[in-house]
Amino acid sequence: MEDPDAPLVERAQRGDRWAFEQLVERHQNRLFTLAARTLGSADEAADAVQEAFIRAWLGLPRFRGGSLFSTWLYRIGVNAAHDQRLKRRTEPLDETHEPADPRDSFQASELSSALQDALNQLDEDYRVAVVLYDVLGRSYAEIAELTEVAEGTVKSRIFRGRSRLAELLGTRTAEE
Amino acid sequence: MVAETHPHDIELFEYVEEELPPARRDEIAAHLATCDVCAEQVMQAAAGREALRETTLLELPEGRREEILRNLPAPERYPRERRGFFSKPLLAGIAALLLVAALAAVLVKTGGNSGMESSAGPTAGGAAEATATSGGGSKAEDAHAAGLFAGGSPEDVADDLQRKGFDASVQQDRVVVHGATKAQVREALADRGPGDVEVVVKNP
Repeated sequence: MEDPDAPLVERAQRGDRWAFEQLVERHQNRLFTLAARTLGSADEAADAVQEAFIRAWLGLPRFRGGSLFSTWLYRIGVNAAHDQRLKRRTEPLDETHEPADPRDSFQASELSSALQDALNQLDEDYRVAVVLYDVLGRSYAEIAELTEVAEGTVKSRIFRGRSRLAELLGTRTAEE
Repeated sequence: MVAETHPHDIELFEYVEEELPPARRDEIAAHLATCDVCAEQVMQAAAGREALRETTLLELPEGRREEILRNLPAPERYPRERRGFFSKPLLAGIAALLLVAALAAVLVKTGGNSGMESSAGPTAGGAAEATATSGGGSKAEDAHAAGLFAGGSPEDVADDLQRKGFDASVQQDRVVVHGATKAQVREALADRGPGDVEVVVKNP
């Protein structure tokens, strides 16, 4: 499969900062969505995205093109979000700030929705699988590669994640 | 009895996604018509899919992109990290090996002219070559395989380990970790991939 990012990646690998900035522009919102939906917090997700792009920039010389650049980047993003979650366990969460930007308000409401509450309760493996597949539209093969499991396991995780999510949403609706 | 015939999650997923061959799809449909447990799961999975697909792409908050770009390591540091660790020592090693091999070849040639060709000549040349090989390439490779190495700069690796709860510090371009096992550190660095930064684990 031809990688649409390949020309920019090759330039960025030679230290071309402008090319890397284009890659950031191209992937920042998807990576942020992945992190925000798996972490349930816009602030933590933005930190994870920043960490992921720095790791990617530093790791680019070792990227051999064996997979799509986006698959490689998403893998770094999943790991950065996971690290952010571990950090949360050792540090108290800051008080939530009122978002000043209307777009941030929209995102804050999205991240406090019933769906996000249900997502937050899923096992991390299931949450990552459903977000990558159903929200970001990645293929089974890509998800299998970036989470290092078999495609069958990916399908099973998506199936169970979706079922559990609907169950949690139904429970919440019934309680309301 | 019914439990033994439940389709696997993978097939139920493929049923929801309409990826099954027609014959198998009909079999699953027949099972769902008689099995409330599986029918409920399929219904829930389809509902979960719909809920997830109604979500929209979120946007990285204002100003964060600039912050990311501002925090990237300086461009002049980037290429130096790529080649700084190996290039000079490796080139010096190769040059030394070539010199040893050339000297050995001269000695062999001289030995042959003086009537020692059948014994000392080839042996000396062979020994010099064997020493060169083991002294340069394989020992370095063995050390690399036995040691811990990670991608990024030493500061970056140390920061990463500190964030993961390790007592890590940078000492002479290496990262030194105290109070942990090598296996723990290796696992913590798994997501960084291979690289040039040496990580040393020290315990009291």
